[in-house]
Amino acid sequence: MNLLEIKNLKMDFGADAEALRAVDGVSLVIGAGETVCLVGESGCGKTVTALSIARLVPTPPANYVGGEILLNGQDVLKMSNGELRGIRGGVVSYVFQEPGASLNPVFRIGNQIRESLKLHKPEKATNEEVIRLLKLVGIPAPESRIKNYPFEMSGGMQQRVMIAMALASEPKLLVADEPTTALDVTIQAQILDLLSDLKRRLGMAILLITHNLGIVGDMADRVAVMYAGQIVELSPAKELLRRPLHPYTKALMASVPKLHGTADRLSAIPGNVPRIGNFPPGCRFAPRCPIARPECSEKIPELVEVEAGRFVRCPFWKNERENITAEAPRRGDK
Amino acid sequence: MSLLEVKNLKVHFPVKHGMFSRTHEFVKAVDDVSFAIEPGETLGLVGESGCGKTTLGRAIVRLVEPTAGNVLLDGEDVTRMNGSILRARRRKFQIIFQDPYGSLNPRMTVEQIVGEALDIHKLTDSKPARQKRITELLKAVGLDAIYAQRYPHEFSGGQRQRIGIARALAVEPELIICDEPVSALDVSVQAQIINLLRDLQQERGIAYLFIAHDLAVVEHISRRVMVMYLGKIVETADAKAIIRDPQHPYTQALISAIPEVDPESKRQRIILPGDVPSPIHPPGGCPFHPRCPIAEERCRTEVPAFREVAKNHFAACHLAGTKIDLPRNPARREAV
Repeated sequence: MNLLEIKNLKMDFGADAEALRAVDGVSLVIGAGETVCLVGESGCGKTVTALSIARLVPTPPANYVGGEILLNGQDVLKMSNGELRGIRGGVVSYVFQEPGASLNPVFRIGNQIRESLKLHKPEKATNEEVIRLLKLVGIPAPESRIKNYPFEMSGGMQQRVMIAMALASEPKLLVADEPTTALDVTIQAQILDLLSDLKRRLGMAILLITHNLGIVGDMADRVAVMYAGQIVELSPAKELLRRPLHPYTKALMASVPKLHGTADRLSAIPGNVPRIGNFPPGCRFAPRCPIARPECSEKIPELVEVEAGRFVRCPFWKNERENITAEAPRRGDK
Repeated sequence: MSLLEVKNLKVHFPVKHGMFSRTHEFVKAVDDVSFAIEPGETLGLVGESGCGKTTLGRAIVRLVEPTAGNVLLDGEDVTRMNGSILRARRRKFQIIFQDPYGSLNPRMTVEQIVGEALDIHKLTDSKPARQKRITELLKAVGLDAIYAQRYPHEFSGGQRQRIGIARALAVEPELIICDEPVSALDVSVQAQIINLLRDLQQERGIAYLFIAHDLAVVEHISRRVMVMYLGKIVETADAKAIIRDPQHPYTQALISAIPEVDPESKRQRIILPGDVPSPIHPPGGCPFHPRCPIAEERCRTEVPAFREVAKNHFAACHLAGTKIDLPRNPARREAV
């Protein structure tokens, strides 16, 4: 049995006529101890998908209209509030983007970590255990740090505290939602290094949400690329980076400047990321896609396994020009 | 003559503890920085948050007051200008901000935003001429003229950044300070704006001071690159040279810390310990020594000189050129 199985998840914001589909048929499996990256730009639905695993999106406004989220074989969408309290922190823990906003500013960090222990491991809610956790996430002099308030720590240190708090209950799955986006690159390297190390030592699975393809190569076993509420490509990470198949993944990779890059101009993707409620008909990437055909705008393509372990939501992934690096229309905006 | 010459610029902010106490501490946000920009070239400025790169950009256009030093634009000292002269000279240098949401007045239409600059500097003499100029400017940044009557909230982040660029272009500046112009944008939109800035530079010969924390972006757009740490420039070189052959250990770590898309990359990561120290009490000697993997005794006491270590390649490090060679977290690569 897989640790997590999301099956054809559909979620709206609002109901009836005003319903806006934020997640549209997402299926994703995470095995025990596996690291999966969910990549996408703002508004693609990656965060609400991840929050749904512990049903952290309030309903209403959210409205689950289809699908299942099986965590250890049990459907999260059918759980009572009591059962949800058990899995939140107990099975799934979260680390968010802004550590400064996630920590309570008026409590000492030691107390905040102990709170998580009290809920899930009451017998271990001691200072010694808190200090052990802080040591585990590499905070120097943890004995004196437990008395600190969040504002007395730097962003990187705050994120370590968040990770310590998430680990307190020994979860099976750690969901890290853009954990390094608010941090500097040298601090980002520290935190990613810490996550890899913890994963190796504790054997937990990680769902890492990011918009940075560079992080994928370093961290992920498998990667799912999301665009406008749907997964458009799902693949082992190394293979995706070596040879992306979906036109969106290709274009995204080509538009990131690379060190030692020689290209004079970047190959930009024309247009803008579609906003929720404004998704184009048919293939949602079609209006920005360099190989789009008229029929692309008629029907939403299926996510199909085209090679072992590689799924692509584009029927024309194969018979197109090898490289999508051709220059997009100059200054084309719209 | 260089278009812009910055000489020993310092910006120190007083730190007060309580309402009536006297100031006895300073944040040395920019500490003795000198450099020059030639007409039509792009100089990149990289550094982590809190290193003073934004303050440096703002001090050049006098949005914050420099504490000491000179900023010469076309040979004229900007730091000594006042009132109407400063306002008139601002035609020559403009700034584009990081946040495309906060930097446009939500109550003004695009036409008013772009036209305001034209009005202040009295650049058009009739209404039709003003209209025509605004249309031209919007077209130059890739926006249709029909957008002129709309308000900022009707645009996406990338389009707003284009409006910000059109506003800066309105006065035909010789220099634009670009303060993290793409870091708030989606990845797929970043490339559009970077290409736009390059095109405009080629057409109009504008010089840029391009401030960013992303070395790959800065390398892509700049001819020369400066690396800043705790208010000081620690390394300056041609963009290609600084990536290929970084001399300062901080630059080496910064480059190695960038996550790379290429799965075949064998690059090893140098992970710096600790955080950027407080700029109120910067460490003595070399400000980087507490995090530096190759620091020696003299690094703790002697401030390293900013010296030319190779042709046109400057670095502030006693050991410049020494490659960092350490067991670079071997656990990391295994774990992947």
